[in-house]
Amino acid sequence: MARKDDWLMRRTMAAAQARLHRRQLLQGAAGAMALPLATRLAPAQAAPFSNLSNPAAIAAAQRVLQETGDSAEAAVAAAQQYSGVTLNYLSEAGLMAEGPKVFSGPKWQELTGINVTVVDKPFPELFPTMVQEHIAGTGALDVMDVVPAWMADVVTQGIVEPLQPYIDKYMNPADLEDFHPVYRNLMNYSGNIYGLFDDGDTFLLYYRRDLFDNPDYQAEFEEKFSRPLAPPETWEQYDEVQSFFTEKGGGEFWGGASQRNPLQVYHWWMIEFRVKGGKFFDEETMDATLDSQAGIDTLNRMLSSNSSMPPGVEEWDFTKVFEGWMDGRLAMVGGTWPPFGRFSERYGADTVQMEWLPPSQVADNVSYAPLPGGYSSLASGFMLCVSADSANKDAAYLFAQWMNSPTISLERVMLPYTLRDPFRLSHYSSDAYRALWANAGEYLDMLQTQTDTALLDIIMPGSQEYHTVIEQMWGAAQGGTAPEQAAADANAAFNAITDRIGRDAQRTAYQEYLKLGNVYPETPA
Amino acid sequence: MGSTAPGTSSGHAARDRRAGWWMVVPTLVAILGLSVFPLLYSLSLSFQRRDLQHPNDDQFVGLANYAAGLLDARVHTAMFNTILLVVVGIALQLLIGLGLALVVVDELRGRRFFIPLLMLPVMMTPVVAALGWRLLWDSQYGAVNHFLAFILRRDVDIVWLTQRWTALFAVLVTDVWQWTPFMFLILLAGLASLNPEHYEAAALDGAGPWQQFWAITLPGLAPVIAVAVIFRTMDAFKIFDQIFMLTQGQPGTSTETISWYIYQVGYKFFNMGYASAVSYLLLIFLSIIGTIYVSRFLREEHL
Repeated sequence: MARKDDWLMRRTMAAAQARLHRRQLLQGAAGAMALPLATRLAPAQAAPFSNLSNPAAIAAAQRVLQETGDSAEAAVAAAQQYSGVTLNYLSEAGLMAEGPKVFSGPKWQELTGINVTVVDKPFPELFPTMVQEHIAGTGALDVMDVVPAWMADVVTQGIVEPLQPYIDKYMNPADLEDFHPVYRNLMNYSGNIYGLFDDGDTFLLYYRRDLFDNPDYQAEFEEKFSRPLAPPETWEQYDEVQSFFTEKGGGEFWGGASQRNPLQVYHWWMIEFRVKGGKFFDEETMDATLDSQAGIDTLNRMLSSNSSMPPGVEEWDFTKVFEGWMDGRLAMVGGTWPPFGRFSERYGADTVQMEWLPPSQVADNVSYAPLPGGYSSLASGFMLCVSADSANKDAAYLFAQWMNSPTISLERVMLPYTLRDPFRLSHYSSDAYRALWANAGEYLDMLQTQTDTALLDIIMPGSQEYHTVIEQMWGAAQGGTAPEQAAADANAAFNAITDRIGRDAQRTAYQEYLKLGNVYPETPA
Repeated sequence: MGSTAPGTSSGHAARDRRAGWWMVVPTLVAILGLSVFPLLYSLSLSFQRRDLQHPNDDQFVGLANYAAGLLDARVHTAMFNTILLVVVGIALQLLIGLGLALVVVDELRGRRFFIPLLMLPVMMTPVVAALGWRLLWDSQYGAVNHFLAFILRRDVDIVWLTQRWTALFAVLVTDVWQWTPFMFLILLAGLASLNPEHYEAAALDGAGPWQQFWAITLPGLAPVIAVAVIFRTMDAFKIFDQIFMLTQGQPGTSTETISWYIYQVGYKFFNMGYASAVSYLLLIFLSIIGTIYVSRFLREEHL
């Protein structure tokens, strides 16, 4: 078996070299000669190199790593060997895609001569696009923004390339230690690294300091509820605080709001469901258990919470909550994505991309708290993956490594016009980020500590279908179906998905998911 | 099979036939490749368990996908919603379109301005029209609630798209708004083609406007109405854009239409075998309806 592998490797190497330009071959030879020295001196523990890589590129990267230890510079040095190549980068349409369109794409082109074409798709179309392109074998995508929840699907279907060989060749391994540990865990599936975590989407509770610090409100609240007015620690307390402020607002402002439009609402339901003790599946039978008491209680609590939110909240999505918040009509936002922190302070409002940002009535008055129940949600997020069908895998990986490196990624999470948020330990401690607004440090500290215990989305084959079922369950309950019935229907739909994919396969996948940690409160990473 | 001498008339004919065949070949290939092959391929898919995300699990399952489709509660709901939108929607489009055509067919002042204006909705991409209407149905800022509040002289905060019946109503209104001009235009052409002498004769006989409408206009328009209705029916059964933009099948799955459901199963979750089977069930259903409708229409025409 080993001999056959050796023969295969030599054949592949020969074929790859046969395709190389003469100049590249000379560079490759030089690189190959430099390689033993470079690898001996390199801080990285280099693994066997991928057969199709350009040896000159590897040598260039190793040389830079030797000199500076900077993965970004190493990626640039290596990628210059691929000058003239065009990479297609699948990214979420809208603000997210502005990063590669305006910043990272042009800068990478300038540094390496590699062109980047951004293929931007609305969020719901990202996953189908990568599956379709893979099935059709088009090789149309090189780099992809992949949500961790899709990891099981993209790995088991062979859509993404294992990255460890590339990391060994091109990256300073110390950079891996710089990821937040929860995010670093997500880069692994079945023991291999398949993506570089690239967008920390940890939910926080946002609240108005001016309202919470108001002495009249404090006194009145304490008299009514026999506890100080403070950010709520349970979802039941959340409703009390929300109702209190809604009553005080008298139609001018409300106590709070969360997204109630069914699309994406699964994040809110899943976090509370698990805090209340709910489990998605019975580990033995793989029967869904959404209709447990925890599931029904969560639905009931969310429905009753609607009554003290603004009218029409049933259709509020991210934008509407944001608009209400910026307009000063909300005392709290019951959990949402990180850009709220910087958007609230109108950071970047002077950029062309952020011209739409409304005036902020809450700037300088925003504080951050853990979600009620004490556990946050790692809601979506993105990882940079390399398409297994790419014709330029090394170049694609190098672009991903460069974007994701500590130095460049810090610039990217500080770009005001993208939705990319801190995910590296060095981001949380960055003086530059902490200086962006008065209490940016408080914001970063809260993001980091809440990520420690943030609970993950479902990461199993069929995750998108499972999440859609939860959205449908919520929509049905909000539309008048009895919560018990909505939960029972969702349970049946979960079971149908599990049966179609296969109970045994899903049992194994569920165990893999549990191994990631942070799936349930009692199983931390 | 004797050989034909070159230069003879039968030789010319054979050459012409061959040349004719060569000219037809590209079209034939295009039809076979783009229409017949996908049709047959999807038919074969419908008998298989074919999940593109799990290609190793493919297997022949006979009619199991069809049986599952017939028993699937979501198919039932989606078909009910589709039929509801088709029947009520087309009835309203017909009535309003006919009314507008009757108003415009006479020398209405400003007709040159009015007709192109009326045609605007049908010229819009359905997804754009639905997007525009989504803003109108918005409970907070939408014009619909503001208009109702103005009429009723009190606050109106109906959340149209989060309850099943109000959401279906919103879809229906959006569809009627977009497609009524199509009915209007066809019926206007039909009305313009009616013989004015019939009306003159009827007027001389003392027939009033209603009698003229029932005895001359409607029978004269019947073939046009039949064609317009069958065109719209075939098209309306594919209703997708409005669902995509307005409800996404929510609340729950209660506003799904059959096209939306097939899209979800096939193109979002890649269960192609089952999606193909449900598509064929829809095709069979539409074929039966179409056949009954056309044969009835032809019979009436014959009579």
